[in-house]
Amino acid sequence: MSPAPVIETEALTKVFGPQRALDNVSLKVFPGSIGLLGPNGAGKSTFMKCLLQLQPITSGSARLLGGEVGREGREIRKRVGYAPEQNCHIPGMAGCEYVTYCAQLSGLPFQAARQRAHEMLDFVGMSQERYRKVDTYSTGMKQRLKLAQAIVHDPEIVFLDEPTNGLDPKGQAQILELVQSLWQKYGITVILSSHLLHDVERVCGEIIIIARGRVLVHDSLETLKSRKRGAAEVVLARGHEELQAACRSRNWLCEMLPNGHLRVEHRTDSLNPLLTLMDELKVPPLEIIPSPNALEETFLQALEISHAAA
Amino acid sequence: MPLHDVHYQHWTGTHRGIWARRWVIAQNGLAACVQNKTIRNLVVLCWMLALTMAAVLFLVGQLLVTDSVVTQSVEKFNPQLQTFVRMLTQWLEDHPEISVGTTQNVLFYFFSTYLMPVGIFVLGLAMPSLITRDLASNAILIYSSKAVTRGDYLLGKFCTAFGLLTVTWLGPVCAAWFLGNFLAPDWRFFWHARAALEHVLIFGVAGTIILSALALGVSAMSSREKATPAAWFMWWILGGVIQPIALHTKPWLRHLSFSYDLRQIGLSTFRLGDDLKTAQDNVPILGQMLGGIKAETRDALNHPTLAGALAALALMLVAGALIIRQRVKPE
Repeated sequence: MSPAPVIETEALTKVFGPQRALDNVSLKVFPGSIGLLGPNGAGKSTFMKCLLQLQPITSGSARLLGGEVGREGREIRKRVGYAPEQNCHIPGMAGCEYVTYCAQLSGLPFQAARQRAHEMLDFVGMSQERYRKVDTYSTGMKQRLKLAQAIVHDPEIVFLDEPTNGLDPKGQAQILELVQSLWQKYGITVILSSHLLHDVERVCGEIIIIARGRVLVHDSLETLKSRKRGAAEVVLARGHEELQAACRSRNWLCEMLPNGHLRVEHRTDSLNPLLTLMDELKVPPLEIIPSPNALEETFLQALEISHAAA
Repeated sequence: MPLHDVHYQHWTGTHRGIWARRWVIAQNGLAACVQNKTIRNLVVLCWMLALTMAAVLFLVGQLLVTDSVVTQSVEKFNPQLQTFVRMLTQWLEDHPEISVGTTQNVLFYFFSTYLMPVGIFVLGLAMPSLITRDLASNAILIYSSKAVTRGDYLLGKFCTAFGLLTVTWLGPVCAAWFLGNFLAPDWRFFWHARAALEHVLIFGVAGTIILSALALGVSAMSSREKATPAAWFMWWILGGVIQPIALHTKPWLRHLSFSYDLRQIGLSTFRLGDDLKTAQDNVPILGQMLGGIKAETRDALNHPTLAGALAALALMLVAGALIIRQRVKPE
């Protein structure tokens, strides 16, 4: 029996004045680690906020963990964790007090909340800093604290909005490792929003790419990475005409790019047929750049859409 | 080595109900308020005043006991007062419902209205801990992502303000009533003074609710920690300044002052005009003394502008609700 979807949206639309932040988003997301990928302003955060009822939905419908968003908000949020992109701590509180308070707001009794707070602060790698005021924390500590407060009440699904923002590479790696373990080891569904392909690629098994409020692609990471168009960019010192003629004779599309490279669509997963052809023609390549996989290509497409809109 | 298992553990306990979560918000707000030393000192001051009031009630009670230490001391201090004190004691014994009821009603009116400004001042100091600081730090987003709604959050914050006013105003006044009557020479004091408690509770609870709601509105006006207390104190002080000026020019302007409006509710509740008349009718010597009260004051006591005060407060509450609606949201 397949698991029930954790997120279901139907023509979900969110409009801010003249701008459509979400445009007819229809999705069905099953438990796992899901990456929401897209450039800044693509609508990733708005999508999360609509699901959490932090933003009212303009039209369409959404269900989170089986409950209808907009009707069962309080009950749904008891089972959901959220780490927003921006800082939003409560001033004057020490780290452990803050996480305890967040647990209590989710319905945990004080004793359990305090114990869970310490466990989660250990889990995210915060030691004695937990007794310091949150106002004095570095960016890295604040990111860890946000993660701790998001999971302190043991949610079934956790939304993480750009959790590696402002972190050094080591800090990024640590946070991503923790996030990865949430689904892989502890079965908590993770929705990770990021504009960094690398982060999403590392943690998530399923990818949703968004641009200008529209879903461009929603598939598993494995499928997206294996799906290639079978094309390559070839850098040659000589023999451009010969190679173009040979490609045409094999019905391969071949075109000269403005940078002087040749773009050959050989329509196979491997570069071997192209290499064999160049060997036969005695045209040695200076460099062969394989075409990006579908994940990279769609992400680049999302970036282009975003730049074009800007 | 960490004290706890660093691996993630699932939690299998039972969630607490929504009222517990609202209480957590209120409790946290109160904890933040009492971190302010001035607020702590003012709370202590209010309870000291409550003890003083209880002592006054004890002394008043002793006047009703024949040959009590108080009456003997008064007579010893001034022998000419002997006849008056004995007459008064006899009369007070004969009419306890007037002597105890009226006296305590008047005393508690003044105690309530003089303690109210302390509560207003404390609310001003606590203003950042209500909503302002949460707006500044974006904490509203965190509250909204947890298992509480905006209504729950506001109710929690309202309880914070209500709690503060309870420990600085309503609580001390009620405690003074209980302690004062507990120390009285007769248990029947509780019965005869019941009207005073009733008035204290009506005026105190209504005032506390109104002030708490107004404070939330002002607290949501800005995210700057100095702006909201400044706005609250300015409104209070300006209201106090306008009030005497407006009396002879445009009387309706007096209703811009929330403390004036609350005092009108107090006057309507305690009905001091009736007490004045009772005292004049029953104690001739008091009648002569009270006859010197200005007609203006007598009119103010007999005819408080309750309708205007209620209308003005209702408008203020609506304005506060609109500010909250506009400002207190996740984004």
